[in-house]
Amino acid sequence: MSTTAETTPQAQAATTVRIAGGPSYSCAPGDTVLRAGLRAGFGLPYECNAGGCGSCKFELIAGSVEDLWVEAPGIRAKERERGRRLGCQSVPRGDCEVKIRLADSYVPQCLPRRFEARYICSRAVTADIREFDFLAPGAASFLPGQYAMLRLTGGGPERAYSMSNQPNAQGLWRFMVRSVAGGKVSTGLFALEAGAEVSIDGPYGIAHLRPTPQRDIVCIAGGSGLAPMVSVINGTLAQPAQGGRDVWLFYGGRGPGDIPRIEEFIHPHPRVRFHPAVSVPELAQGTTWTGEIGMVHELLPRKLPHALADYEYYLAGPPPMIEAVVGTLQTDHGVAAQAIHYDRFF
Amino acid sequence: MKETNEAMQEVRAVCDAAAVAEGEVLRVEADGMPPLAVYKLDGNYFVTADTCTHGEASLSEGFIEGGAVECPWHNGKFCIRTGAALDFPATVALQTWPVSVIEGKVCIPIQPAAGTPPASNKGTTCRAN
Repeated sequence: MSTTAETTPQAQAATTVRIAGGPSYSCAPGDTVLRAGLRAGFGLPYECNAGGCGSCKFELIAGSVEDLWVEAPGIRAKERERGRRLGCQSVPRGDCEVKIRLADSYVPQCLPRRFEARYICSRAVTADIREFDFLAPGAASFLPGQYAMLRLTGGGPERAYSMSNQPNAQGLWRFMVRSVAGGKVSTGLFALEAGAEVSIDGPYGIAHLRPTPQRDIVCIAGGSGLAPMVSVINGTLAQPAQGGRDVWLFYGGRGPGDIPRIEEFIHPHPRVRFHPAVSVPELAQGTTWTGEIGMVHELLPRKLPHALADYEYYLAGPPPMIEAVVGTLQTDHGVAAQAIHYDRFF
Repeated sequence: MKETNEAMQEVRAVCDAAAVAEGEVLRVEADGMPPLAVYKLDGNYFVTADTCTHGEASLSEGFIEGGAVECPWHNGKFCIRTGAALDFPATVALQTWPVSVIEGKVCIPIQPAAGTPPASNKGTTCRAN
Protein backbone atom coordinates (compact mmCIF):
# COMPACT_ATOMS: atom_id res chain seq x y z
CA MET A 1 0.00 0.00 0.00
CA SER A 2 1.43 3.34 -0.99
CA THR A 3 1.28 6.58 0.92
CA THR A 4 1.68 10.19 -0.14
CA ALA A 5 4.94 12.10 -0.28
CA GLU A 6 4.23 14.02 2.91
CA THR A 7 3.98 11.07 5.33
CA THR A 8 7.02 9.51 6.92
CA PRO A 9 8.39 6.23 5.59
CA GLN A 10 7.87 3.05 7.50
CA ALA A 11 11.32 1.62 8.27
CA GLN A 12 12.65 2.95 11.58
CA ALA A 13 16.03 1.26 11.29
CA ALA A 14 18.54 0.98 8.52
CA THR A 15 17.75 -1.68 5.93
CA THR A 16 19.93 -3.61 3.55
CA VAL A 17 19.47 -3.45 -0.21
CA ARG A 18 21.02 -6.34 -2.08
CA ILE A 19 21.64 -6.00 -5.81
CA ALA A 20 21.08 -9.38 -7.45
CA GLY A 21 24.44 -10.74 -8.53
CA GLY A 22 26.14 -7.69 -7.08
CA PRO A 23 26.92 -5.79 -3.91
CA SER A 24 24.73 -4.94 -0.93
CA TYR A 25 24.44 -1.58 0.75
CA SER A 26 22.86 -0.08 3.78
CA CYS A 27 19.89 2.27 3.42
CA ALA A 28 19.23 4.73 6.26
CA PRO A 29 15.63 5.17 7.44
CA GLY A 30 13.76 7.37 4.97
CA ASP A 31 16.42 7.20 2.31
CA THR A 32 15.66 5.94 -1.17
CA VAL A 33 16.98 2.89 -2.99
CA LEU A 34 18.75 5.19 -5.44
CA ARG A 35 20.37 7.64 -3.06
CA ALA A 36 21.49 5.07 -0.55
CA GLY A 37 23.22 3.17 -3.34
CA LEU A 38 24.96 6.32 -4.58
CA ARG A 39 26.00 7.22 -1.01
CA ALA A 40 27.62 3.80 -0.79
CA GLY A 41 29.59 4.59 -3.92
CA PHE A 42 27.77 2.34 -6.40
CA GLY A 43 26.94 3.38 -9.96
CA LEU A 44 23.14 3.22 -9.99
CA PRO A 45 21.76 4.87 -13.15
CA TYR A 46 19.69 8.02 -12.67
CA GLU A 47 19.19 11.52 -13.99
CA CYS A 48 16.60 13.79 -12.41
CA ASN A 49 16.12 12.35 -8.89
CA ALA A 50 12.57 13.69 -9.06
CA GLY A 51 10.46 10.86 -10.53
CA GLY A 52 10.24 12.38 -14.00
CA CYS A 53 12.79 10.74 -16.26
CA GLY A 54 12.53 7.03 -15.47
CA SER A 55 16.27 6.46 -15.68
CA CYS A 56 16.43 4.93 -12.19
CA LYS A 57 13.93 2.13 -12.87
CA PHE A 58 14.74 -1.15 -11.15
CA GLU A 59 13.06 -4.49 -10.56
CA LEU A 60 12.03 -5.35 -7.02
CA ILE A 61 12.75 -9.04 -6.56
CA ALA A 62 12.17 -9.45 -2.82
CA GLY A 63 11.04 -7.22 -0.01
CA SER A 64 8.79 -4.20 0.01
CA VAL A 65 9.29 -0.51 -0.68
CA GLU A 66 7.17 2.53 -0.01
CA ASP A 67 6.39 4.58 -3.09
CA LEU A 68 6.91 8.29 -2.42
CA TRP A 69 4.98 9.39 -5.51
CA VAL A 70 2.48 6.94 -6.95
CA GLU A 71 1.74 9.18 -9.93
CA ALA A 72 5.37 9.77 -10.82
CA PRO A 73 5.45 10.12 -14.60
CA GLY A 74 8.74 8.28 -14.99
CA ILE A 75 7.10 4.84 -14.78
CA ARG A 76 3.89 3.27 -16.08
CA ALA A 77 1.28 1.34 -14.15
CA LYS A 78 2.00 -1.71 -16.32
CA GLU A 79 5.66 -1.54 -15.40
CA ARG A 80 4.77 -1.39 -11.73
CA GLU A 81 2.60 -4.48 -12.20
CA ARG A 82 5.71 -6.23 -13.45
CA GLY A 83 7.61 -5.32 -10.31
CA ARG A 84 9.40 -2.23 -11.62
CA ARG A 85 9.89 0.78 -9.38
CA LEU A 86 11.66 4.12 -9.54
CA GLY A 87 14.81 4.09 -7.43
CA CYS A 88 14.46 7.75 -6.54
CA GLN A 89 10.92 7.27 -5.24
CA SER A 90 11.31 3.97 -3.38
CA VAL A 91 11.99 3.80 0.36
CA PRO A 92 12.62 0.27 1.67
CA ARG A 93 10.23 -0.98 4.32
CA GLY A 94 12.67 -3.77 5.18
CA ASP A 95 15.58 -5.59 3.58
CA CYS A 96 15.16 -5.81 -0.20
CA GLU A 97 16.63 -7.56 -3.17
CA VAL A 98 16.67 -5.64 -6.43
CA LYS A 99 17.79 -6.06 -10.00
CA ILE A 100 19.70 -2.96 -11.13
CA ARG A 101 22.21 -2.53 -13.91
CA LEU A 102 25.24 -0.73 -12.42
CA ALA A 103 27.48 1.37 -14.65
CA ASP A 104 30.84 3.00 -14.01
CA SER A 105 29.64 6.28 -15.50
CA TYR A 106 27.21 6.68 -12.60
CA VAL A 107 29.68 6.00 -9.79
CA PRO A 108 29.67 9.27 -7.83
CA GLN A 109 32.98 11.11 -7.79
CA CYS A 110 31.71 13.11 -4.82
CA LEU A 111 29.57 10.95 -2.52
CA PRO A 112 26.21 12.62 -1.83
CA ARG A 113 25.33 13.33 1.78
CA ARG A 114 22.58 15.02 3.77
CA PHE A 115 23.42 18.07 5.84
CA GLU A 116 22.06 21.36 7.15
CA ALA A 117 23.15 24.69 5.71
CA ARG A 118 22.65 28.28 6.77
CA TYR A 119 21.25 30.94 4.43
CA ILE A 120 23.68 33.85 4.05
CA CYS A 121 22.42 36.20 1.33
CA SER A 122 21.07 36.35 -2.20
CA ARG A 123 21.23 38.53 -5.28
CA ALA A 124 19.06 39.11 -8.33
CA VAL A 125 19.91 37.32 -11.56
CA THR A 126 16.87 38.12 -13.73
CA ALA A 127 13.36 39.38 -13.13
CA ASP A 128 12.32 36.14 -11.40
CA ILE A 129 15.59 34.32 -10.64
CA ARG A 130 17.77 34.95 -7.58
CA GLU A 131 21.08 33.41 -6.61
CA PHE A 132 21.21 32.13 -3.02
CA ASP A 133 24.28 31.50 -0.84
CA PHE A 134 24.26 28.80 1.84
CA LEU A 135 27.07 27.88 4.20
CA ALA A 136 27.51 24.34 5.51
CA PRO A 137 30.16 22.81 7.78
CA GLY A 138 33.09 21.27 5.99
CA ALA A 139 34.11 21.57 2.38
CA ALA A 140 31.55 21.89 -0.42
CA SER A 141 32.43 18.94 -2.68
CA PHE A 142 30.78 18.64 -6.05
CA LEU A 143 31.59 18.73 -9.74
CA PRO A 144 30.71 21.81 -11.81
CA GLY A 145 27.30 21.20 -13.37
CA GLN A 146 25.88 19.06 -10.57
CA TYR A 147 22.82 19.78 -8.44
CA ALA A 148 21.57 19.20 -4.90
CA MET A 149 18.15 18.64 -3.35
CA LEU A 150 16.96 21.46 -1.09
CA ARG A 151 14.26 21.15 1.55
CA LEU A 152 12.98 23.91 3.84
CA THR A 153 13.12 23.39 7.61
CA GLY A 154 9.90 21.88 8.88
CA GLY A 155 9.55 19.32 6.16
CA GLY A 156 7.70 19.61 2.92
CA PRO A 157 8.85 18.67 -0.54
CA GLU A 158 12.39 18.97 -1.79
CA ARG A 159 13.50 20.37 -5.12
CA ALA A 160 16.63 20.03 -7.18
CA TYR A 161 18.74 23.13 -7.78
CA SER A 162 22.07 23.29 -9.57
CA MET A 163 25.15 24.76 -7.95
CA SER A 164 26.36 27.88 -9.73
CA ASN A 165 29.66 28.18 -7.87
CA GLN A 166 32.80 26.02 -7.75
CA PRO A 167 33.64 23.31 -5.22
CA ASN A 168 35.38 25.01 -2.29
CA ALA A 169 36.87 24.47 1.14
CA GLN A 170 34.70 27.11 2.83
CA GLY A 171 31.47 25.13 2.51
CA LEU A 172 29.67 27.61 0.24
CA TRP A 173 26.77 26.17 -1.78
CA ARG A 174 25.32 28.62 -4.27
CA PHE A 175 22.12 28.02 -6.22
CA MET A 176 19.95 29.92 -8.68
CA VAL A 177 16.26 29.64 -7.90
CA ARG A 178 13.38 30.75 -10.09
CA SER A 179 10.37 32.12 -8.26
CA VAL A 180 7.43 29.91 -9.24
CA ALA A 181 3.88 31.13 -8.55
CA GLY A 182 2.55 28.78 -5.88
CA GLY A 183 5.85 26.97 -5.72
CA LYS A 184 6.23 25.39 -2.30
CA VAL A 185 10.00 25.50 -2.15
CA SER A 186 10.86 28.58 -4.22
CA THR A 187 8.35 30.69 -2.27
CA GLY A 188 9.96 29.60 0.98
CA LEU A 189 13.47 30.24 -0.31
CA PHE A 190 12.59 33.73 -1.48
CA ALA A 191 11.24 34.46 2.02
CA LEU A 192 14.27 33.18 3.95
CA GLU A 193 15.84 35.36 6.61
CA ALA A 194 19.59 35.43 7.06
CA GLY A 195 20.72 32.59 9.31
CA ALA A 196 17.74 30.35 8.52
CA GLU A 197 18.58 26.69 7.97
CA VAL A 198 17.73 24.48 5.05
CA SER A 199 18.42 20.79 4.45
CA ILE A 200 20.65 19.91 1.54
CA ASP A 201 21.20 16.47 0.02
CA GLY A 202 23.84 16.23 -2.63
CA PRO A 203 25.63 16.45 -4.90
CA TYR A 204 23.83 14.61 -7.65
CA GLY A 205 23.90 14.85 -11.41
CA ILE A 206 25.54 13.26 -14.37
CA ALA A 207 25.75 16.33 -16.61
CA HIS A 208 28.89 17.59 -14.91
CA LEU A 209 31.98 19.03 -16.53
CA ARG A 210 34.19 16.46 -18.21
CA PRO A 211 37.84 16.89 -19.07
CA THR A 212 37.86 17.03 -22.87
CA PRO A 213 40.93 19.07 -23.69
CA GLN A 214 40.58 18.59 -27.44
CA ARG A 215 37.06 19.89 -27.80
CA ASP A 216 35.64 23.36 -27.45
CA ILE A 217 32.57 23.66 -25.26
CA VAL A 218 29.05 24.77 -26.09
CA CYS A 219 26.64 25.46 -23.22
CA ILE A 220 22.94 25.82 -23.97
CA ALA A 221 20.47 26.78 -21.27
CA GLY A 222 17.11 28.31 -20.48
CA GLY A 223 15.68 29.62 -17.22
CA SER A 224 17.49 28.53 -14.07
CA GLY A 225 19.54 26.22 -16.28
CA LEU A 226 21.94 29.14 -16.22
CA ALA A 227 23.31 27.96 -12.85
CA PRO A 228 25.03 24.75 -13.94
CA MET A 229 26.35 26.50 -17.05
CA VAL A 230 27.94 29.23 -14.94
CA SER A 231 29.56 26.51 -12.88
CA VAL A 232 30.73 24.53 -15.91
CA ILE A 233 32.17 27.60 -17.64
CA ASN A 234 33.93 29.03 -14.61
CA GLY A 235 35.15 25.53 -13.85
CA THR A 236 36.62 25.23 -17.32
CA LEU A 237 38.36 28.58 -17.11
CA ALA A 238 39.84 27.69 -13.73
CA GLN A 239 41.49 24.51 -14.96
CA PRO A 240 44.86 25.21 -16.57
CA ALA A 241 44.83 21.69 -18.04
CA GLN A 242 41.79 22.67 -20.10
CA GLY A 243 43.48 25.83 -21.26
CA GLY A 244 42.95 26.92 -24.79
CA ARG A 245 39.39 25.66 -25.08
CA ASP A 246 36.87 28.14 -26.41
CA VAL A 247 33.51 28.30 -24.68
CA TRP A 248 30.14 29.41 -26.02
CA LEU A 249 27.10 30.07 -23.86
CA PHE A 250 23.74 30.19 -25.62
CA TYR A 251 21.05 31.32 -23.23
CA GLY A 252 17.38 31.68 -24.06
CA GLY A 253 14.56 33.48 -22.33
CA ARG A 254 11.15 34.77 -23.25
CA GLY A 255 11.99 38.47 -23.03
CA PRO A 256 14.87 40.82 -22.18
CA GLY A 257 13.94 40.66 -18.47
CA ASP A 258 14.93 36.99 -18.54
CA ILE A 259 18.47 37.69 -19.68
CA PRO A 260 21.05 38.28 -16.92
CA ARG A 261 24.02 40.64 -16.89
CA ILE A 262 26.25 37.70 -17.54
CA GLU A 263 29.46 39.53 -16.63
CA GLU A 264 28.28 39.49 -13.01
CA PHE A 265 28.47 35.69 -12.99
CA ILE A 266 31.12 34.82 -15.57
CA HIS A 267 34.04 37.21 -15.71
CA PRO A 268 34.56 38.53 -19.23
CA HIS A 269 37.17 36.34 -20.84
CA PRO A 270 38.48 36.28 -24.41
CA ARG A 271 37.65 32.60 -24.73
CA VAL A 272 34.03 32.92 -23.61
CA ARG A 273 31.27 34.13 -25.92
CA PHE A 274 27.76 34.85 -24.68
CA HIS A 275 24.83 34.67 -27.11
CA PRO A 276 21.47 35.36 -25.51
CA ALA A 277 18.20 35.15 -27.38
CA VAL A 278 14.62 36.06 -26.51
CA SER A 279 11.82 34.02 -27.97
CA VAL A 280 8.87 36.39 -27.68
CA PRO A 281 9.39 39.37 -30.02
CA GLU A 282 6.62 41.41 -28.41
CA LEU A 283 8.53 41.44 -25.12
CA ALA A 284 11.54 43.00 -26.84
CA GLN A 285 9.58 45.79 -28.49
CA GLY A 286 10.04 49.18 -26.87
CA THR A 287 13.16 48.01 -25.01
CA THR A 288 16.84 48.55 -25.70
CA TRP A 289 17.26 44.89 -26.66
CA THR A 290 19.71 44.54 -29.53
CA GLY A 291 20.32 40.82 -29.13
CA GLU A 292 18.94 37.88 -31.07
CA ILE A 293 15.28 37.08 -31.32
CA GLY A 294 14.31 33.44 -31.75
CA MET A 295 15.03 30.05 -30.26
CA VAL A 296 18.47 29.53 -28.81
CA HIS A 297 19.37 26.44 -30.79
CA GLU A 298 18.76 28.27 -34.06
CA LEU A 299 21.85 30.35 -33.28
CA LEU A 300 24.25 27.43 -33.20
CA PRO A 301 24.99 26.98 -36.91
CA ARG A 302 25.32 30.75 -37.33
CA LYS A 303 27.62 31.44 -34.41
CA LEU A 304 29.83 28.35 -34.18
CA PRO A 305 32.83 28.42 -36.54
CA HIS A 306 33.29 24.66 -36.77
CA ALA A 307 31.04 21.74 -37.60
CA LEU A 308 28.62 21.24 -34.74
CA ALA A 309 29.84 17.68 -34.31
CA ASP A 310 33.25 18.99 -33.21
CA TYR A 311 32.03 20.43 -29.90
CA GLU A 312 31.27 19.09 -26.41
CA TYR A 313 27.79 20.12 -25.28
CA TYR A 314 26.32 20.90 -21.87
CA LEU A 315 22.58 21.59 -21.65
CA ALA A 316 20.27 22.47 -18.77
CA GLY A 317 16.69 23.64 -18.56
CA PRO A 318 13.11 22.61 -19.31
CA PRO A 319 12.77 19.07 -20.71
CA PRO A 320 11.03 20.09 -23.96
CA MET A 321 13.82 22.55 -24.78
CA ILE A 322 16.55 20.03 -24.05
CA GLU A 323 14.88 17.20 -25.90
CA ALA A 324 14.36 19.36 -28.97
CA VAL A 325 17.95 20.60 -29.00
CA VAL A 326 19.50 17.18 -28.36
CA GLY A 327 17.33 15.71 -31.12
CA THR A 328 18.48 18.40 -33.56
CA LEU A 329 22.13 18.03 -32.59
CA GLN A 330 22.08 14.27 -33.11
CA THR A 331 19.79 14.00 -36.09
CA ASP A 332 20.69 17.10 -38.11
CA HIS A 333 24.31 17.66 -37.12
CA GLY A 334 25.64 14.21 -36.34
CA VAL A 335 26.74 15.04 -32.79
CA ALA A 336 27.61 11.85 -30.90
CA ALA A 337 25.48 11.07 -27.84
CA GLN A 338 28.66 10.81 -25.76
CA ALA A 339 29.48 14.45 -26.50
CA ILE A 340 26.18 15.72 -25.10
CA HIS A 341 25.62 16.12 -21.34
CA TYR A 342 22.17 17.27 -20.33
CA ASP A 343 20.24 17.94 -17.17
CA ARG A 344 16.47 18.07 -17.67
CA PHE A 345 14.71 20.12 -15.03
CA PHE A 346 11.63 18.04 -14.29
CA MET B 1 18.02 -22.61 -44.10
CA LYS B 2 17.54 -20.52 -47.23
CA GLU B 3 14.14 -20.03 -48.75
CA THR B 4 12.71 -17.41 -51.02
CA ASN B 5 9.85 -15.08 -50.24
CA GLU B 6 7.13 -13.80 -52.53
CA ALA B 7 9.47 -11.20 -54.01
CA MET B 8 11.94 -14.01 -54.77
CA GLN B 9 14.48 -12.60 -52.36
CA GLU B 10 16.56 -15.14 -50.56
CA VAL B 11 15.52 -15.19 -46.93
CA ARG B 12 16.74 -16.86 -43.82
CA ALA B 13 14.80 -18.06 -40.81
CA VAL B 14 15.55 -16.29 -37.55
CA CYS B 15 13.16 -18.06 -35.20
CA ASP B 16 10.00 -20.13 -34.91
CA ALA B 17 6.89 -18.00 -35.28
CA ALA B 18 5.39 -19.83 -32.33
CA ALA B 19 8.27 -18.72 -30.14
CA VAL B 20 7.02 -15.13 -30.13
CA ALA B 21 3.88 -14.55 -28.08
CA GLU B 22 1.33 -11.94 -29.08
CA GLY B 23 2.36 -8.52 -27.82
CA GLU B 24 5.79 -9.78 -26.84
CA VAL B 25 9.32 -9.60 -28.18
CA LEU B 26 12.03 -12.21 -28.55
CA ARG B 27 15.74 -11.56 -28.79
CA VAL B 28 17.39 -13.61 -31.53
CA GLU B 29 21.08 -13.96 -32.29
CA ALA B 30 21.76 -14.95 -35.88
CA ASP B 31 25.17 -15.56 -37.42
CA GLY B 32 26.70 -12.59 -39.13
CA MET B 33 24.02 -10.20 -37.92
CA PRO B 34 23.62 -7.85 -34.99
CA PRO B 35 21.23 -9.10 -32.30
CA LEU B 36 17.64 -8.95 -33.52
CA ALA B 37 14.34 -8.30 -31.80
CA VAL B 38 11.34 -10.21 -33.17
CA TYR B 39 7.91 -8.85 -32.23
CA LYS B 40 4.37 -10.06 -32.71
CA LEU B 41 1.70 -7.33 -32.85
CA ASP B 42 -1.91 -8.15 -33.73
CA GLY B 43 -0.79 -11.34 -35.39
CA ASN B 44 1.89 -9.64 -37.50
CA TYR B 45 5.60 -10.17 -37.02
CA PHE B 46 8.21 -7.44 -37.10
CA VAL B 47 11.98 -7.49 -36.83
CA THR B 48 14.21 -4.65 -35.68
CA ALA B 49 17.74 -4.45 -34.39
CA ASP B 50 17.74 -5.42 -30.73
CA THR B 51 20.40 -2.93 -29.64
CA CYS B 52 19.05 0.51 -28.86
CA THR B 53 20.58 3.26 -31.03
CA HIS B 54 21.00 5.44 -27.94
CA GLY B 55 23.02 3.03 -25.83
CA GLU B 56 23.84 -0.63 -25.47
CA ALA B 57 20.50 -1.74 -24.05
CA SER B 58 18.64 -4.76 -25.36
CA LEU B 59 15.22 -3.63 -26.55
CA SER B 60 13.82 -7.11 -26.05
CA GLU B 61 14.05 -6.33 -22.31
CA GLY B 62 11.97 -3.22 -22.89
CA PHE B 63 8.33 -2.33 -22.65
CA ILE B 64 5.89 -2.71 -25.54
CA GLU B 65 2.83 -0.52 -25.83
CA GLY B 66 0.85 1.00 -28.69
CA GLY B 67 3.03 -0.42 -31.44
CA ALA B 68 6.19 1.00 -29.88
CA VAL B 69 9.04 -0.49 -27.89
CA GLU B 70 10.47 1.48 -24.99
CA CYS B 71 14.11 0.99 -24.12
CA PRO B 72 14.61 -0.23 -20.55
CA TRP B 73 17.59 2.04 -19.89
CA HIS B 74 16.41 5.57 -20.67
CA ASN B 75 12.83 5.14 -21.96
CA GLY B 76 13.69 6.03 -25.56
CA LYS B 77 10.82 4.86 -27.78
CA PHE B 78 10.84 3.33 -31.26
CA CYS B 79 8.09 2.41 -33.68
CA ILE B 80 8.19 -1.36 -34.03
CA ARG B 81 6.78 -1.28 -37.54
CA THR B 82 9.19 1.28 -39.04
CA GLY B 83 12.03 1.54 -36.53
CA ALA B 84 11.50 5.31 -36.31
CA ALA B 85 12.68 7.02 -33.14
CA LEU B 86 9.54 8.31 -31.43
CA ASP B 87 10.56 9.65 -28.06
CA PHE B 88 13.56 11.16 -26.33
CA PRO B 89 16.33 10.20 -25.92
CA ALA B 90 15.96 7.99 -28.98
CA THR B 91 16.82 10.07 -32.03
CA VAL B 92 18.31 7.59 -34.48
CA ALA B 93 15.99 5.06 -36.11
CA LEU B 94 16.41 1.33 -35.62
CA GLN B 95 17.31 -0.83 -38.55
CA THR B 96 14.34 -2.98 -39.60
CA TRP B 97 13.88 -5.98 -41.88
CA PRO B 98 10.81 -6.97 -43.88
CA VAL B 99 9.33 -10.18 -42.52
CA SER B 100 7.84 -13.22 -44.16
CA VAL B 101 6.61 -16.28 -42.32
CA ILE B 102 7.43 -19.45 -44.19
CA GLU B 103 6.56 -22.89 -42.86
CA GLY B 104 6.14 -21.57 -39.36
CA LYS B 105 9.42 -19.67 -39.28
CA VAL B 106 9.92 -15.92 -39.12
CA CYS B 107 12.18 -15.07 -42.08
CA ILE B 108 14.02 -11.94 -43.19
CA PRO B 109 15.91 -11.23 -46.41
CA ILE B 110 19.57 -12.21 -46.50
CA GLN B 111 20.46 -8.64 -47.50
CA PRO B 112 19.35 -6.28 -44.71
CA ALA B 113 17.06 -3.40 -45.70
CA ALA B 114 16.68 -0.43 -43.41
CA GLY B 115 13.79 1.67 -42.27
CA THR B 116 10.86 0.63 -44.44
CA PRO B 117 7.67 -1.06 -43.32
CA PRO B 118 7.06 -4.54 -44.76
CA ALA B 119 6.39 -3.87 -48.43
CA SER B 120 4.36 -6.99 -48.93
CA ASN B 121 3.19 -9.81 -46.73
CA LYS B 122 1.28 -11.54 -49.48
CA GLY B 123 1.09 -15.27 -49.23
CA THR B 124 2.21 -15.38 -45.63
CA THR B 125 0.36 -16.04 -42.44
CA CYS B 126 0.84 -12.36 -41.46
CA ARG B 127 -1.65 -9.80 -42.63
CA ALA B 128 -0.62 -6.15 -42.94
CA ASN B 129 -3.20 -3.76 -41.49
